[in-house]
Amino acid sequence: MSNSLIEVKNLKKTFGGITAVDIKELRFNNGELTSIIGPNGAGKTTFFDLISGFQNSDSGDIYLKDKDVSNSQPYKIARMGMVRTFQLTKVFDRMTVLENLLFSGSEISNDSLFKSVIKSKSQRKYEENLKDKAKNIMEELNILHMADSYARELSGGQKKLLELARSIINEPEILLLDEPLAGVNPKLADDILSLIKKLSNEGITILMVEHNIEAVMKISERIVVLAEGSLIADGNPNEIRTDRNVIEAYLGKDND
Amino acid sequence: MKISNKFLFAVFLTGFSIYLVFALNPEGASRILLNLLTFAGIYGLSAIGLNVHFGWTGLLNFGHASFMGVGAYVTLILMPHAAGREGEITSTGLPFIFALIIGILSAALFGLLLGLPAIRLRGDYLAIVTIAAAEIFRLLVRDLESITGGVYGIINYTENLQQYRPNFINNFSESFGFSPSQAWVCLLAWVSIFFTVIFLKRLNNSPWGRALRAVREDEDAVRAMGKNAVWLKLQSFMLGAGIAGLSGVFLAFNYGSLESTVFVPLLTFYVWAIMILGGVGTITGPIFGSIIFWVIISETDRLAFILFENANGQQLAGVRFLLVGLLIMVLMIFRPSGLLGKKEELLLDVK
Repeated sequence: MSNSLIEVKNLKKTFGGITAVDIKELRFNNGELTSIIGPNGAGKTTFFDLISGFQNSDSGDIYLKDKDVSNSQPYKIARMGMVRTFQLTKVFDRMTVLENLLFSGSEISNDSLFKSVIKSKSQRKYEENLKDKAKNIMEELNILHMADSYARELSGGQKKLLELARSIINEPEILLLDEPLAGVNPKLADDILSLIKKLSNEGITILMVEHNIEAVMKISERIVVLAEGSLIADGNPNEIRTDRNVIEAYLGKDND
Repeated sequence: MKISNKFLFAVFLTGFSIYLVFALNPEGASRILLNLLTFAGIYGLSAIGLNVHFGWTGLLNFGHASFMGVGAYVTLILMPHAAGREGEITSTGLPFIFALIIGILSAALFGLLLGLPAIRLRGDYLAIVTIAAAEIFRLLVRDLESITGGVYGIINYTENLQQYRPNFINNFSESFGFSPSQAWVCLLAWVSIFFTVIFLKRLNNSPWGRALRAVREDEDAVRAMGKNAVWLKLQSFMLGAGIAGLSGVFLAFNYGSLESTVFVPLLTFYVWAIMILGGVGTITGPIFGSIIFWVIISETDRLAFILFENANGQQLAGVRFLLVGLLIMVLMIFRPSGLLGKKEELLLDVK
C-alpha cells in the first residue's frame, strides 16, 4: 500500500453516451516513470483531468498518498504535491517568464493581501530566495536569456519548457505531463526528454501522456495503454511492444 | 525615475484639454473647470477600482454602478438626512467618517455577496450577471421607499461633510468664484485618488498583484499551481468594489441629493470608457483618462455650437454625441492600449 502514490478504483466518466474513462483498478508507484499511451480519444487527457481534479468523475475513487481525493478541488490536489501540465500549453501570456516562475513558486501565505500591503520583511526575503530559485531553474532549462520577455513572445517549444519549469519550481512529488513533446522540434524534444529522465532519477514520480512512441519506449519504466477509456495493457516497454491488444488498438483487428 | 514618452503625452493631452476649457469658455471657465475636475476625480477613482477588477484580474464587471450605489446609499442612510416623498427627517446618525467606513465596507461586502455565486463564471457570462445584479440593486433602491426615499431620493445630508470644510477652501473659493462645497468634495476626491494610487502601487508589484494577473491570464494554470483562483478573484472583487463605494459617496455629495437614477448602466459605461482611455491595467491611467473624458463630455456642446453656428438646440445635441464618439475613437486609434497602457500588455481581448 505504502508504495503506491496514486490509486484509482472503478473510475468512470462518461460524456453523454460516450465512455471516456472506465478503469477498474490502476496504481502508480513511488518514483516510477510511467507513460500513458493510446489512440486519440482513448481517454488519456480525461484521466489526467480526473486525477488532478479538473473534472469530476461519475463514480469511483481516487487516492493520492492514501488520501481520498475524488472530486477534490484542483488546487488542493496540487498542494498535496501533484502538479500537472496541459496538452495545450498554458503559460501566463502577459507576464514575464520570471513572473511566471515567481508566481508558481510562491507559496499561498506569501501571496496574501495583508503581507503584500505591509510589505513585510519576511516577504521580501522570501521573494529574494524565490528569485534565485527561479534563476537556477531558468538556467538549467536554457531560458534564462528570456527571463524578462513576455511569455507570449516565446516559441511553442520554449513555452513547453516554461510550463515544465513552472511545474518543478515547487519540487512536486508527482508530475503529470500532458504531451510534453507535442509540437516541439527534435533537438528540444531530446532536451525535454533528458530533463524528464533527470527529474525521474531525482525521485519524482512521473506520469506522462505522449504520442511520440519512440520517445515513450526509450524513457519509460512502465507503459499503460488505454483504448476507448479502458485499460488494455500495462507493463514494461518490451512487453507492450509485442502486446497483441495494443497492436490491435493502434492498427485495427487482424481479419484472418 | 525615467519619465516615459507615454506619460508626457498623457500629461500634454490632459493639459491641452484643460486649456480647451478656457479657450472655449470666455466666461466662467474656472467654475466649469472645477465642476469638471470634481466629476473627473470621482469617476477616475471609480475607474481605478474597475481597473483592479478588469485590468488586474480580468473580471468583466459591468455592474460597477451598483458598487458605487451601495457605498453611497449606506453612507447617507447612516448619517442624519431626509428622505422620501414627505422628506421624512432622520436627525440622528453616525459622524461622516464612521458612516463612510461602513459604506465602503458594505460595498466590498456587496462585492463578496455578488461574487460568491457569480465569480465562477467567465468572461461574458460574468458581465451579464453583474449588469443584471446592478439593475436589480437600482430597482430595489427605487422601490424601498421607506429606507432609500425611493424615487424621491435622499436630501439634506451634505452638511454632514460640509461641516468639516476647512476655512482655506472658503477663502480660495471666494477668490475664484467657486462653490465652496463643490471645491471641498473635489479636494477630497483627489486626495482619495492620491492615497488609492499609492496603495495600489504597493500592491501592483507584490506577490498578491502578481497572483491576480496570473488569474487574469489563465485560471486553470493558477489552479494547477495549487492556488485558489476563486478566492483571489473574490479578494479583487472586494477591493475594487470598496474603491467604487468610496467614489459613490463623493458622487452623492457632489450632487447634493441622491436618487436611484444616478446608478443607471450608463454610469458603468462611462467608467469603462475612462478606464479604457487611460489604459487598462495601469494605475494612474484612469486619472488622465477621466479628465480628458470629462472635457470631451462637457465641452463638446460648446464645440458643436462653435462649429455649427446656425444649428438649433436639438441638432446641437445630436452633433454633440457624434463628437463625443468621434473624439474617443480618434484617441483609441492613436492609442489602442490607452494613454498609459503597454502595447505588449494590450488587455482588451477577453477570453
